[in-house]
Amino acid sequence: MSIDLEIYRADAKAWLETKAMEFGHAARRGLSEEEDLTLGRRWQAEKFAAGYSAINWSKEHGGQGLGALEKLAFEQEEMKHSFPNDYFGVSLGMPVPIMLRYVKGDWARERATKALKGEEIWCQLFSEPAAGSDLAGLRTRADRDDAAGDWIINGQKLWTTWAQYADYGVIVARSDPTVAKHRGLTYFWVNMKSPGVTVRPVRLAEGRSEVNEVFFDDVRIADSQRLGSVGGGFGVAMETLMIERYQATDPAGFGPPIDLFVEEAKTIRIGGKSAIEDGRVRERIARTYAAQSALAAIHRRALLSLAAGMQPGPEGSVHKLVSVRTRQKLSEFAMDLKGVDGMRYDEDKTRKESWSKSWMTAPTGRIAGGADEMLLNTIAEKILGLPQDHRPDKGVAFNDFPR
Amino acid sequence: MSILYDDAQQAIGGEAVRILADRTRSETLKALLETTGRYDMRFWETCKEQGWTAVGIPEVFGGIGLGLVELGLIAEAIGQVAGGAPFLGTGHGVAQAILRYGSDALKERWLPTLASGETIGAVAFAEGADMLPSEPALRLTHGRLVGAKPAVCAGAVAQVALVLASGKQGPVLALVELAGDGVTRNMVHTFDNSRCTADLHFDGVEASVLTGEGALLAARAVLELQAVVTAHEQVGGAEAMLGKARDYAMDRRAFGQLIGGFQSVKHRIAEGYVLVELARANAIHAAASEGEADFGRHAAAARLSATEAYDSVSRDATQVHGGIGVTWEADLHLHQRRARTLAIENGPALFWEDALVDYLVEEAA
Ligand SMILES: Cc1cc2nc3c(=O)[nH]c(=O)nc-3n(C[C@H](O)[C@H](O)[C@H](O)COP(=O)(O)OP(=O)(O)OC[C@H]3O[C@@H](n4cnc5c(N)ncnc54)[C@H](O)[C@@H]3O)c2cc1C
Repeated sequence: MSIDLEIYRADAKAWLETKAMEFGHAARRGLSEEEDLTLGRRWQAEKFAAGYSAINWSKEHGGQGLGALEKLAFEQEEMKHSFPNDYFGVSLGMPVPIMLRYVKGDWARERATKALKGEEIWCQLFSEPAAGSDLAGLRTRADRDDAAGDWIINGQKLWTTWAQYADYGVIVARSDPTVAKHRGLTYFWVNMKSPGVTVRPVRLAEGRSEVNEVFFDDVRIADSQRLGSVGGGFGVAMETLMIERYQATDPAGFGPPIDLFVEEAKTIRIGGKSAIEDGRVRERIARTYAAQSALAAIHRRALLSLAAGMQPGPEGSVHKLVSVRTRQKLSEFAMDLKGVDGMRYDEDKTRKESWSKSWMTAPTGRIAGGADEMLLNTIAEKILGLPQDHRPDKGVAFNDFPR
Repeated sequence: MSILYDDAQQAIGGEAVRILADRTRSETLKALLETTGRYDMRFWETCKEQGWTAVGIPEVFGGIGLGLVELGLIAEAIGQVAGGAPFLGTGHGVAQAILRYGSDALKERWLPTLASGETIGAVAFAEGADMLPSEPALRLTHGRLVGAKPAVCAGAVAQVALVLASGKQGPVLALVELAGDGVTRNMVHTFDNSRCTADLHFDGVEASVLTGEGALLAARAVLELQAVVTAHEQVGGAEAMLGKARDYAMDRRAFGQLIGGFQSVKHRIAEGYVLVELARANAIHAAASEGEADFGRHAAAARLSATEAYDSVSRDATQVHGGIGVTWEADLHLHQRRARTLAIENGPALFWEDALVDYLVEEAA
């Protein structure tokens, strides 16, 4: 690793440590979600001021113009403190970068800066009740008002992360139901405070409500809010998802690190012996470590090849598939290991600190952003060239397909 | 550290793949399976000719002074064709032990011929289930070895062996010439006979001590170096089996479609790809971290992922082939055999799991 990068990491680490008291885990204990979000917004502003926002974005867009390796180094150090940054993950991850690719000028720059400072939040309105994995099956309509040149949006989105706090969103809607499903979609940005937009939180199994249903009733938006061509929305959506694949950077699948497991296994006793002496426990530790270290190596190589100007490969699919699945199984095992104590559920702990919380929240990770089965299809079809699944809807106009 | 191969390295790997595809025949490999103590001489000649035996040995001793990364690339190419002679990895282990712990005289004596491939080296540490016995049954007294080492890979034909024996003050790492009196080799029939496995018996055979103090650590270091070579070989083998499964799934039809269109088949192959990629990442990462403090940890992780990948992918590739896959003709069994052999030689998963956890616990402490 280069000396510069080591220095960058050490500086970031030192700075983060000075902020941990004010924004880290201890500061968040007992806060309501609203209070936590307020703290989160302040945390984004601090990062922005200190030059740690959008590390690998161009300076023009409010970033630091550094590389992906610096971003990774910072995130690895940041992750250790459980800062309140969940609320900005989707926003800064996909919608704002894709908006910046298509919308130019002061307005876009201003949005980006506000999003980076945590003043504004964006959401991603793709999925619907009948269109998740099959994204091109969506039914929300975008009808052209020919007189005004505007678009009128009607329909329902589902699973929209943090829509309840969002100021803006990116949305894909059906602009032409008479052509094959992939061809009739158009992509826009939308102001979430527009008349006709209703957001209703959906409670997840674990008890929280980070996702929402969003209803659109005659929501009027200008044609200037379109990203890409009319009918070209599916391509822009795919482009957005490609950015998403590069968000997965935690080999522990955003669950507890293996070190925590090792620490606990040293104190837990099974049949009078330390659990760390138990073969079953050792096997699990070793296997999990091997998988996670491979993911870390894959990710670093992906960043190096990006830095060397090569095309990104399929690493993202492998990373998400393996990291979350591994996390789910390890969390289960960690709970087993604690015996009856494994049932305790500590609301105040994050999913990186608590095995039961990690376990409760892991299933969402295996669905959101592409279910395991879809990732396997991607690997099989895109990388290995295996045949596509049987698709009876192929080539049939959206309207003509029985639903 | 984790690397991208540079042009020179890619050329080494590409060249090895090309040459081996040309010079190895499954008929030869299958013939080797029927008898003990034979190996694919044409393949070994290629290794010598191409200088692959010299890769890890410094130039002053006739080597070409490259490292584990390059050796790994060659091993990966060998793994793809299930190369019929195991000596590259064992030779590397012996040469590295001599380099690190041997006297100048021993270096002069052995390294040049190990580099040229004239000398075949074997590594004999294990005794039964114990890969690194802390009190070996093989004894070294007054400079002479008495006892045995079971199932030594390359033991049937090697000229020199690196052994772990019990000395007066605990374990010692020693080098013993196998040509002389007092050495008996009993061929072991295995399911992968081209590994030239033999039980070695020593009846008062002279041996040179490489190191007494820290012999176990030294032996572990040798195993770790070999582990990374083996891991690359496993990755190559797994990749070959993945390719076979994929190609077959793109060719064979059932129920009016390619079998690769059935998700149960398609996903099985995709899962195999994931295992190969994880194994490859760990292998490359381990090779690139040679000499660093956490090398042992990476070597162990590399072995674990590589063993899992090769075993699983060869199991599944056979399944994807249906009936034809289980025949002698189909060649898949060559890789199945090799997958299991490599899983055990140089330490089974149990050994590397323990090694890895010990490293992690030490670090946490
Ligand atoms: C916590 C969370 C946050 C999310 N955030 C957002 C967001 O911010 N914005 C957004 O737009 N969406 C979001 N999503 C939606 C997410 O992208 C979808 O849930 C996901 O793509 C799966 O779609 P689905 O729920 O409709 O399941 P379905 O597509 O109905 O899948 C059901 C099951 O069928 C399987 N399946 C489907 N098709 C195939 C196939 N071809 N082959 C094999 N198996 C198949 C799936 O793998 C799954 O097991 C979020 C989801 C969750 C859970």
